[in-house]
Amino acid sequence: MGAFNKYLSFSKASLQIMLVYKSSLALNLVGTIFYVVAMFYLWQTIFLNQKGALPGDFTWQDMKAYILVSFLLNSVLTWYDEWVMGRDIREGLVAVDLTRPVDFQLKRLADALGPVPIELTSAVVVAIVVAAFFGGIALPPDAVHAGFFLVSAVLATITKFALIYCVSMLAFWTTGVTGISWARLAIQSIFSGALIPLVFFPGWLQTVAAVLPFQGLISTPALTYLGKLDVPTTVALIAIQAAWAIGLLMLGRLTWRRASKAVTINGG
Amino acid sequence: MPLIEARGLTKKFRQAVKEPGLVGSLKHFVTREHKDKLAVDNIDFSVEAGESVAYLGPNGAGKSTTIKMLTGILVPTSGSLIVDGLVPHEKRPQNAKNIGVVFGQRTTLWWDIPVIESFHLARDMYEIPVERYKANLAEFTELLGLAEFMNTPAGKVSLGQRMRADLCMALLHDPKMVYLDEPTIGLDIAVKDSIRKFIRRLVDERGTTVILTTHDLGDIEDICKRIVIIDKGKIIHDGDLKALKDNYARERVIHFQLARPPESMDVICAGLPTCDVSRDGLRLSVRFNRFHHQAGEIAAAVMPHAEVMDFRIDEPEVEDLIRKVYLGQLSLASTPSEAPVGADA
Repeated sequence: MGAFNKYLSFSKASLQIMLVYKSSLALNLVGTIFYVVAMFYLWQTIFLNQKGALPGDFTWQDMKAYILVSFLLNSVLTWYDEWVMGRDIREGLVAVDLTRPVDFQLKRLADALGPVPIELTSAVVVAIVVAAFFGGIALPPDAVHAGFFLVSAVLATITKFALIYCVSMLAFWTTGVTGISWARLAIQSIFSGALIPLVFFPGWLQTVAAVLPFQGLISTPALTYLGKLDVPTTVALIAIQAAWAIGLLMLGRLTWRRASKAVTINGG
Repeated sequence: MPLIEARGLTKKFRQAVKEPGLVGSLKHFVTREHKDKLAVDNIDFSVEAGESVAYLGPNGAGKSTTIKMLTGILVPTSGSLIVDGLVPHEKRPQNAKNIGVVFGQRTTLWWDIPVIESFHLARDMYEIPVERYKANLAEFTELLGLAEFMNTPAGKVSLGQRMRADLCMALLHDPKMVYLDEPTIGLDIAVKDSIRKFIRRLVDERGTTVILTTHDLGDIEDICKRIVIIDKGKIIHDGDLKALKDNYARERVIHFQLARPPESMDVICAGLPTCDVSRDGLRLSVRFNRFHHQAGEIAAAVMPHAEVMDFRIDEPEVEDLIRKVYLGQLSLASTPSEAPVGADA
């Protein structure tokens, strides 16, 4: 219980810190509203001009739900990214963390999850307003799929954290992670299905996406939400998601162990 | 058994070798040449519970590297290090519970949130029993005068306030030992003084073991009984501060304020053949070895030849002593066998 309290306190502190930067928060929110509205108009245009069925039997109704779910999933863990962790590593702030009785990765996870309530609440508000404006969206077909979706969404969040953590570890070897962070975002927005559902990809690109961890971030939870897949396929995809989440967390731990062995924190 | 025991402790850093200029940078990009730098070179020391030790040395001597190995942040290249029965880097979280760390150059407080919130985090982080936490917080708040900025974010308080809050942060969990890395750097005299008093109280009343690195020798005279000096990764002195002073601080200076210029400097100098006599206007200064002379002898030699109105004696300063050690003008390797003359030594 004591250990859990410890990490809960880190999360609370992280949330408090986020609230200090009110103007930054407000600007972020405005940015995401523009993004999601633009996505809606873009896809609406595509669907209105589309003759015949799209791959995966995607209807405009499905697409609306897909965009909003993808938007919700994208809105978590945006505050605490490689930039923050990379800066801490570069400036030697990790040295302070190392003098404390805490697990480094768990503390970072707690820090990252702290802002999630705010990130999620504001995203849900935006999503509801946008959904109302575009004539409502479909809910998951039944309670089973809703349950699968929740599990999948949690796994997506953990996977995202694990990815950010792994990329941040590179700060031990390079001086800047901003470029790598951008690369991660670019690859992620394509292969997670955030921009375009993976079923619209040509076959070979779908194969590439299937062997990468990114599909677990958006595609798997969003498809689960829509109820497009049968139960065995859903379970299989969630299992793959879980495997990636655990694998990447372990990779992060391993990298950290290696990095901290090699670490030569500034100053003699 | 000592609380801290280091045997043959060594830390080697790999440093990139870069030749100057663009060509050098390109060459390094391709070849990645490195050379080893010995930051801490085969040192032995042990610290008993309740000791207060000043750990001194010029910049880059290996002080911080040693502290980082003690905290478990850095893994030693070779040698052994045991702190309270644990190998710090192997049992880092467990070791962390026993120690408090203050970095003068870096805060351990959460920057953006009120100071009191950082203390609450310490409570949860170290799982401090509620009663203990309350008692400690109340005591430290009083002693360090934290009340006035308790609700201000750490990023918005002055350096002196931050340092005091950092000290509190490091001590709330009753650590057995505290590592203070330049705790008074950049502080004004009043704050330095209150921090020194606080640390001394910690040693005297709580029996906390303190290891202090500093460039401010006022810190050590106020706080520490033992002094360890490291230079180029090697310990060059380890011993009692008073003994160091007695053994090596040999020079005293006596300054005479004269009523009028002396008739003859030569006569005065002739009377003090082993001393260094200098005059600046109406001020006559005699530098002498306190192992050979007493102040009274010097005065007696000067008085018959000059009309003395007033005089003052400068005692040897630890600061001068350490400066000489750093500059290599004084070797601590050989122990002088002489004893100072006079009762004042």
